[in-house]
Amino acid sequence: MEPGGARNSLSQLRRGAVEYCVLALLRDGERYGFELVRKLSEVDGLVTSEGTIYPLLTRLRRDRLVTTFWRESETGPPRRYYQLTDGGREALAGFTVEWARFRDGVDGLLKDEEEQ
Amino acid sequence: MRQKHPNKLVAEYLNRLESAAAGLGRGRRTELVAEIREHVDDGLREAGAVDEVAVRNVLERLGPPEEIAAAAGPPPTRAGRLELAAMITLALPFVGWIIGVVLVAASRAWTGREKVVGIAIALLPAVILALSFVAVGPSSGADTPGGTAVATLPEEEVDGSSGGLGPIELVVVLGSFFAGPVAAVYLSSRLRRPPERTGLASA
Repeated sequence: MEPGGARNSLSQLRRGAVEYCVLALLRDGERYGFELVRKLSEVDGLVTSEGTIYPLLTRLRRDRLVTTFWRESETGPPRRYYQLTDGGREALAGFTVEWARFRDGVDGLLKDEEEQ
Repeated sequence: MRQKHPNKLVAEYLNRLESAAAGLGRGRRTELVAEIREHVDDGLREAGAVDEVAVRNVLERLGPPEEIAAAAGPPPTRAGRLELAAMITLALPFVGWIIGVVLVAASRAWTGREKVVGIAIALLPAVILALSFVAVGPSSGADTPGGTAVATLPEEEVDGSSGGLGPIELVVVLGSFFAGPVAAVYLSSRLRRPPERTGLASA
């Protein structure tokens, strides 16, 4: 595989995983866009362009995994908040199980390779 | 029409985003631009400053507008056959203009503003020409017997050396033939390369 190809598939992996990271961040309650995006970008290696999270949030809303509502803010104009739906909660639970299996499997293989 | 952001850098950034997102539906595009704008304002409030450094930091973290637009949907700008046909027909006078305008209007590769500018460039000389004919009357020209044309047109009109057209009219007529190609060049310059579908993080 060319190095470019590896980088590309890694970024596809990230793209898939970030969706569920958003859902995970909303597990314990609603958050507004800026807060959500900053939390995600604090995770090393997950997101480099914060702006690309917004289209993803739209997709999650379209897929009914999150809903949005507006709330007054103390410091400025009203903010759009994101909240998990029941569907979102289910999707997150499913992913959590699948991800653990996937991660353990990949880790196992990567370790074997190292030891040889 | 959204209100222009008071900060020049932010306004420029949002304009770039709007252009890059031309392929999204209007509702989706407006929403995306509004969301990014809210994000910028939140970021600046958090930074507690609106100086250039604060603005640049927030925009830098957001990433290139083209990348955001690419993440939002299929690249708007891939010049398809429609855009090619629109630009070619726009360059052809008369019937071509009409077809060209319809095709440009139908395309999703250009923003509303780009369409208006392109169409205006293409048709402006022709419109001026048409208006001048209406104002002067269709029978004007060197072969007009009598004085009606002489009264309304500049004197060069009557020597007939350029087939009844004065220098100004000549420029407008020539202009109306060149305007189409100029408009086509403008519109093609507004077509962006299909952006790479880069991931959320391009390591």
